[in-house]
Amino acid sequence: MAAMSPSERRLQKELMSLMKEPPPGVTVDGEQASQNLTLWTVHMEGVPGTLYEGEKFVLQFKFTNKYPFDSPEVTFIGSNIPVHPHVYSNGHICLSILTDDWSPALSVQSVCLSIVSMLSSCKEKKRPPDNSFYVKTCSKNPKKTKWWYHDDSV
Amino acid sequence: MAETSEAQASASGQAGASGQAGSGSGSEDEKRDERMLECNICLDTARDAVVSMCGHLFCWPCLHQWLETRPSRQVCPVCKAAISRDKVIPLYGRGNTKQEDPRNKVPPRPAGQRTEPENNSGFPGFGFGDGFHMSFGIGAFPFGVFTSTFNFGDPRPSAAPRGTAQYEEEQFLSKIFLWVAILFVLWLIFA
Repeated sequence: MAAMSPSERRLQKELMSLMKEPPPGVTVDGEQASQNLTLWTVHMEGVPGTLYEGEKFVLQFKFTNKYPFDSPEVTFIGSNIPVHPHVYSNGHICLSILTDDWSPALSVQSVCLSIVSMLSSCKEKKRPPDNSFYVKTCSKNPKKTKWWYHDDSV
Repeated sequence: MAETSEAQASASGQAGASGQAGSGSGSEDEKRDERMLECNICLDTARDAVVSMCGHLFCWPCLHQWLETRPSRQVCPVCKAAISRDKVIPLYGRGNTKQEDPRNKVPPRPAGQRTEPENNSGFPGFGFGDGFHMSFGIGAFPFGVFTSTFNFGDPRPSAAPRGTAQYEEEQFLSKIFLWVAILFVLWLIFA
């Protein structure tokens, strides 16, 4: 335990609290995360009463050793990527707290809550208007994209 | 971790009892207190604790690293209020200074700001030693006399504290006026 870096220490604490008190519909793959603290897989269920009711999604979190000063890299993975105006079909998410508005007081739990809330407030299932262009041209790392946050309604 | 939640529950239940007993030195209380004093960044008990003007607690090394991460946009990680090195207050607990040598800490934690209490004893502006003031007024004849001699209504601002730049300047100015006055009087006598 003494050899842990500050980022690992914090991730370990977050993992413990997320496994103990997860937000509704969110489960973390604790075994995988404790094997490799810098790569987490989080399972998420569509909230009942919303457009995503009954759907299951998988989120991937990648952390650098600068976490929590550096934001995590968060993408949807797997076969079911939610159809949402802020989620590209390659799993990239347009969400300001994942880049510009990141703060070290945020956590995996608060990011999960933000994504749940973003999905739940969706009125119409559709891809972003520039989806096909973006998916062809973007970097693998969503943090390298210069996001333009303009739509606060969803 | 299940232990912690049980401990918390029992600690809140026992809060009244231990309060009456006086010295509630149970480990449950200590655990709860530690959780209350966690740094918002590393989630550990805050070391070299500082608190922001908005009331959020951090380890100074953690907060410093965050301020360095975005020097152009320094905001509180919790509430996004403006924050800076000068706008945090260090927390000094009893016995805190003995545990670690503060010089070993990089970066140094900002110092506490200590303001002397207002000194209300005595009649202000009467003593000639500390707060000696002189003022000259120039104006049209009958009114000029009043403006320079009597200050109705607004009280004279108190002298700047000793040792500050303002104090030096005031001393310098008052000496200049003194010499001007002496020259004026000499000119009146000899001319």
